[in-house]
Amino acid sequence: MRTTSSLLGTLAFAAGVFLSIFDRRTYNSASRTVFIHQFYFTSVQILPLFLSVAAVFGSLINGMAFQVIKNLGLTDYLGRLLMGFVVTELAPFVTVLLLALRSSAAINAEIAVMKVNRELDTLEHFRIDLLHYLFVPRILSGMLSMIFLTSVFALVVLSVGLIVSGLIFGTGVDAYFDTLLNAADIFDIIVLLIKCATFGFFITMIPIGFGLRATRELTSIPVSVLNGMVTVFLAIIIIEVLSSIIRFI
Amino acid sequence: MARRIEFKVGLFITIVTILILASITYVAYRKDVFSIVHTYTLSSKTGENLTVGMPVAVWGFTIGKVSSLELNDQGIVLIQIKIPERHIRMIRANSKFILDKPLIGIPRIVVQTSDLGDRPLSPQAIPELTESNDINEIIKRAQPIIEKADRIMANIEGITAKLDDPEGDVNRILRETETLIARFSKRDSLLEIAIGDPESIKAIHESLRKIKEITARVDGILQRIDAMAGKTDEELYGPDGVLPQFRNILRDLLMKLAKIDTTFDNINQVSAEAVDSTKNLKGLRNELDETIMTIRNLADEIDRKIPFKTQPEIKLP
Repeated sequence: MRTTSSLLGTLAFAAGVFLSIFDRRTYNSASRTVFIHQFYFTSVQILPLFLSVAAVFGSLINGMAFQVIKNLGLTDYLGRLLMGFVVTELAPFVTVLLLALRSSAAINAEIAVMKVNRELDTLEHFRIDLLHYLFVPRILSGMLSMIFLTSVFALVVLSVGLIVSGLIFGTGVDAYFDTLLNAADIFDIIVLLIKCATFGFFITMIPIGFGLRATRELTSIPVSVLNGMVTVFLAIIIIEVLSSIIRFI
Repeated sequence: MARRIEFKVGLFITIVTILILASITYVAYRKDVFSIVHTYTLSSKTGENLTVGMPVAVWGFTIGKVSSLELNDQGIVLIQIKIPERHIRMIRANSKFILDKPLIGIPRIVVQTSDLGDRPLSPQAIPELTESNDINEIIKRAQPIIEKADRIMANIEGITAKLDDPEGDVNRILRETETLIARFSKRDSLLEIAIGDPESIKAIHESLRKIKEITARVDGILQRIDAMAGKTDEELYGPDGVLPQFRNILRDLLMKLAKIDTTFDNINQVSAEAVDSTKNLKGLRNELDETIMTIRNLADEIDRKIPFKTQPEIKLP
């Protein structure tokens, strides 16, 4: 009963945030500043680490996968592997894990601390809409960060794949791009973008919602963060499953 | 600080947005999202192995895909394929559409165009989709091999059964071989080893002894025949025998024949000379003819040069 109530509460909050995204009042100079700062902390600050992870992970995955493909004699499936698995599945999954570990936890803690310190009450006292000023810019930032960082990850992995493919198969640049293009599908790319946006929405919305559930006590902060992160992880799994169902069924 | 953050965020968003848009646009362009697409309809008796999105290939290159499948009132499956403008030259009136089902990999529709110069396929035409079933072809080809393998296995099974059977052929051969080897190691004579029965060997020895006695008797008979032949030789070849007398008669006859031969030679010579004489007479006749002809020619020449008939008198100087 409690779980159902919590789920419904989360969904209701998600609906409210989603509608606020299309509300013109959301987009003012104050929310823009919040958005820029949040985007900076979520995407730009993480970029050196993210690029390194993408390069190392891409080399590792590409090297292993290409070697297996070569041993099995399934060279024709190189493009499908890269576009169907690395780009559309692996890139968003690694990105969402990194963002959830770094930004979701931070957002959850930040909102919980603001709740404990009554900063949220103060803002409301000054008739500042929390949804427009605090939540929507963070959620928009999360959505765009997911899309952008996933694209960067995919580009890095595909670039590394060109080098690895050249070393293992002796594939040229033209042949490599032709292979990718033959395997690429606009529908898959659209699904990927929607999936990334959905990931971004939930990995920021859920921590905000759980941060708001913190009480006046400081001890409620870690509890809020813990519950929020577990829920974020479950949301990631559910979205991943749903996107796979949409793509393959 | 705020400006710096804004600049970094702006730069990042701009670069990544350009990259994303460029990538999507390029993929869309290469996927012929912006080009004119022609739709053709194929017919098939079955919709098995046909799916929406299935590739349409020419010479291994994908040129289009199946856009929709529909079952009409006559129970015929209508397949709509979409071909971009740049590949439209591959679809001609003589094009054949084959459903290719490889053993490994996804099925696809293969277009075979024998003459690219033929007129384009009309969008209203509904060519039939034929089926190429690789799996069944392979099974059909493998069937004789499987049958042979079955026979080989049956033979191997038979041999194995015979090996298992103590009274079987293989074990019998092995037993007899073993017996033979044992005999080789025990018996003295080869004959005894081969036959193995002492009574039979005695019978063979008895037979050989009798053959030896028969041979001695035959020798005696032949000696007597030789003596009789010696007497016959005396009567035939002795000084007063038949053959010397016959030889003398022949010698006398030969002498007489030699004399007759000489006479015949003389007669032949006379005949040859007569023939030569005849030849000489013929030559003499020819010479006379030639002489007469020469005299006649001379007379004619004189007549021509001295016309006696018109001036019978010749005036002497």
